Order: sequence, then structure tokens, then C-alpha cells
Amino acid sequence: MSDNDTDTESENVRTDGSGGGIVAPDDETPTWSERKTRTEGLSRLTYEYFERARREDQDLRQESDYVERDVLAFPAWPHEMMRNLALTSFFVGMILFVSAALPPEMPNPANSSVTPAIILPDWYLYWSFGLLKLGPLNPDLSILGGSKLMADRTYGVLANVVVVGFVAIVPFLNKGSARRPVEQPFWAAVGMSGVIFSLTIAALSIKNLLPMDSNLLFDLTFLLPFVSATITYAVLKTMREGYMFDLNRRYYRLRPPK
Amino acid sequence: MSLERKDEHDHKGWMKKRDLSPIETVYLTALIWLDKRLRVVDYLEILEDLYYKVNMQMPKSHTEQYNLDNKFWYWYPLYALGSFSTVAYIVAAISGALLGFYYAPAAAAADGSPTVAYDSVLIIMGQLNLGYFLRSVHRWAAQIMVAAVFLHMLRVYFTGAYKEPRELNWLIGIVLISLTLVFGYTGYLLPWSQLSYWAGQIGVEMSLSIPLIGEWVAQLMFGGFTLSQATLQRMYILHVFFLPFITTAVIAVHIGIVWMQGIAEPH
Repeated sequence: MSDNDTDTESENVRTDGSGGGIVAPDDETPTWSERKTRTEGLSRLTYEYFERARREDQDLRQESDYVERDVLAFPAWPHEMMRNLALTSFFVGMILFVSAALPPEMPNPANSSVTPAIILPDWYLYWSFGLLKLGPLNPDLSILGGSKLMADRTYGVLANVVVVGFVAIVPFLNKGSARRPVEQPFWAAVGMSGVIFSLTIAALSIKNLLPMDSNLLFDLTFLLPFVSATITYAVLKTMREGYMFDLNRRYYRLRPPK
Repeated sequence: MSLERKDEHDHKGWMKKRDLSPIETVYLTALIWLDKRLRVVDYLEILEDLYYKVNMQMPKSHTEQYNLDNKFWYWYPLYALGSFSTVAYIVAAISGALLGFYYAPAAAAADGSPTVAYDSVLIIMGQLNLGYFLRSVHRWAAQIMVAAVFLHMLRVYFTGAYKEPRELNWLIGIVLISLTLVFGYTGYLLPWSQLSYWAGQIGVEMSLSIPLIGEWVAQLMFGGFTLSQATLQRMYILHVFFLPFITTAVIAVHIGIVWMQGIAEPH
């Protein structure tokens, strides 16, 4: 291994540093541990020996077929698992507590000849039930001589399909990397109006339970979502102004405008 | 000039080469002797590790990097809603399996007399030890699951977690929320009480009003155009056989995709 064959070998340098152009270590070449030597008493010595011993372990480990992976993450066991168990048991305990405190009641058996005053599904279907009551919005078409294109009930079922369909296509309408409501006031407003609309339409579905003029309720059902959307939009826009102001101030501190 | 690699592990040779004072020699010999037997170096390594852990700065987290910690910490509890609905689903599954030992979906008359189905629920509520508690757990787990799923959807919407590359999971989530509602609805009909009966009436009328395929849907889901024994049986088999399998599979896919893609951090 002399210097004159470095040129011929320089073309087959391998990625691990072996191959051409690399001078093999000889007696003069300081080893890795020799580079680090300093002479400062016992602590220094301890440190050096420590390094050597570690190096030894490292080499022995590399000789064996045992693979060490560098996983930079929160360990699943026990930390993650403990956290999950704590949360899960808390939630399950909550469910058990609530169900022990408030057992369900038992209504009368089914009777087709007695129509109850209040016909309601479970609360989470109120919105869908309310969409069935949108008959007044079903347009009378003059083409059809003032009759309606479809029955009110069909209209309501289709309203359900439209609502679910809109929710489904949101990811395909709202592209871009903005995530937080502050970054996308418009979509946050749309979401807010959706939430409010689901509440108002649920209120509409139980209109015979509410002490309120049903026409007013019907109007509010569609007015309140718009109001809430407007308020949300305004608030978020204002917040975003402040946010952008902050960002710009930081940016212009770095590089003042020309 | 030797091509032999140095034996880096020859501690004796190393000591000779170092030209150490007697004190150092004694000290090092003792240290090596102890290390051979007690692996002192391991403990030193632990100490060193500890030192670095105490004194090192972690790289900035996502939150610090974008200066978000004052902006979205209040979202954090809402990130548990998905797992919460899963937990509620499991609780409902267990309690429902236990209820299945005592419930009988039979003799769905609608003349105001208690039917077999209604009576079996009455027995669960009145005779069976802790039966009322079992039914209560099942009902509340269902209610809580639906609530959690809705809130989970809102959280995903308002944190923009449905965006690329997660659109597919959003659609799967919509399928899941629909399945949850159908689960609730079918369960609602099982006691065959007044509430069940008239909710069933609305369901039949809704499905009949679907254009083109309404009658077919009514036949499929309710076993006819009016409520009967067939309706109860269909609701039962949907509730205890079809929906559990389908929903569990879809939940597994949903969670699997979340696992694979990671939680969508707001930024």
C-alpha cells in the first residue's frame, strides 16, 4: 500500500471509505482514541478508558448479528400503554357511572291504534327528522301547473342525501395546507354554520315541544346559521389580522422593506 | 510498517505505551479489574447519558417551531374523541352480547298488548339481577358513542385533519357515522315499545318516499310496507349480526389508516 497506486484505485472508492485513495493506517497514524488524549489526571484517564471500553463493546456488538435500531419515539410500553389504559378506564368508568345513575325508562308496548302526541327518533336523528319537515321550501313549479315536482317527503329524504353529500365532498373542495380556523376563516364559517344548522334543524324537528311560533322557528332555522357564519368569519378575520401582523413584524425585523 | 490493525482492546499494551505514573497505574489497574467484573463502564455510561439528557436541549417540537402552543392547546382533549368512541363501541359490544342472552325478538304485535320482545326487555329490567344496569350500560354506551363520533367529526373538520392525504379516511368516517346512526336506529326498534313502533313507521315512510327504489328499500330494511314481525326480525339481525361485523371491519380500516398516516397535527 504505497501512494503510487492511489490513482488507479481512486475510481473504485466505495461508500464506506474503503477502496482507492485511502491510506491504510500504519504505526504513525494516530488511532481514534489517541486523537482524544489529553493529560489531565485521573478523571481524564477514566474518561479515556471509558471511551476505549465503549469502543470495545461497540465493536463486539457490530461483530454479532444483533441489530440495534435507533427509535426516536415515545416508548409504547409502558408509557403509551399506561396512558391509554388510564384514559380508557376513566372513560369506561364514566360510562358505568352514568348508566348506574340514570337507567333508561320503559315506555308502553307498541300500539298502532294510538298515535302518540310526540313521535321522535333518538336525539341524534333529530337533524335528519327535521330535514323531513322542509315541505315549505319545496318549490311549486309553474311549468307543472303549480304542482310540485316531488312529494314533500321525497324532498326531505333528498335533503338528507344533499347534506351528507356536501359533508363528504368537503376535502375535495377545500384544498391547500391551511389547517387551523384562523388560517381559513371561510371554511371555519361554513363549518360553524353547519353546526348551528344541525342544532336549529333539530329544534325544528321538535317544534311541537318548543314554546315558540313555528313560523318564526322555521325562519330562524335558516337565519341563525348565516348569522353565526358571519360572526365566525368576522372574528377569525380579525384574529388573522393580528396573527399576520405579528408574522410580518417578525419578518420585517429580519429584513426591512425597501 | 505493519498492515495489521491495532488491537484497540489491548488495555495492557495501551497502559504500557502511556508511560503512566505509579498512582495512575494503580488506579487504572483497579478500574480495569473492577470493570472486568462489575461492568463499571456501564454505570459510567448511564451517568453520561443522564448528564446529556439533563443538559441537552431537545430539538424544537412542531408546536414550538410554529409558535402554536398558545394557539391550539385547547384542541388537545378533543384529540381523544376518536379513541373515546372506539371505547364506547367496545363497551356497547360487550354489554350487548350479554343482553343477547336474555332478549327474544319475537311476536311483534301492535295492538297495545306486551309482546314477547317487549316482555323480554321487561324481564331484563325487572327480574334479572343487574339487568337494568346492563341495559343502561348498553344504552348509554350507544348514546355516548354517537355523541363522541359527532364531536370527533367536528374536531377533524375544524383542525383541517381531513385534508390531503386523508380524504379517503374522511369518506370512511362518513360511512362509519352512518353505520353508527343505523346501529342506533335498529337498536331503538328492538324493545318494540310505542317509541320504537312509531320511529319504525317514520322509517318505513321515509324509505318508501325514496324515488325509484323506495319500495325495494322498504322491503329490504323493514320486510314490508307496514311494520310486522318481519321488521323486528330484520332489525334484530341487522343489529346483532350484519352491523357489528361491518362496523368493526370499517373501524379497523379507519384506525389502521390513521396508524399508518399518523395523527394530523395542526400547524
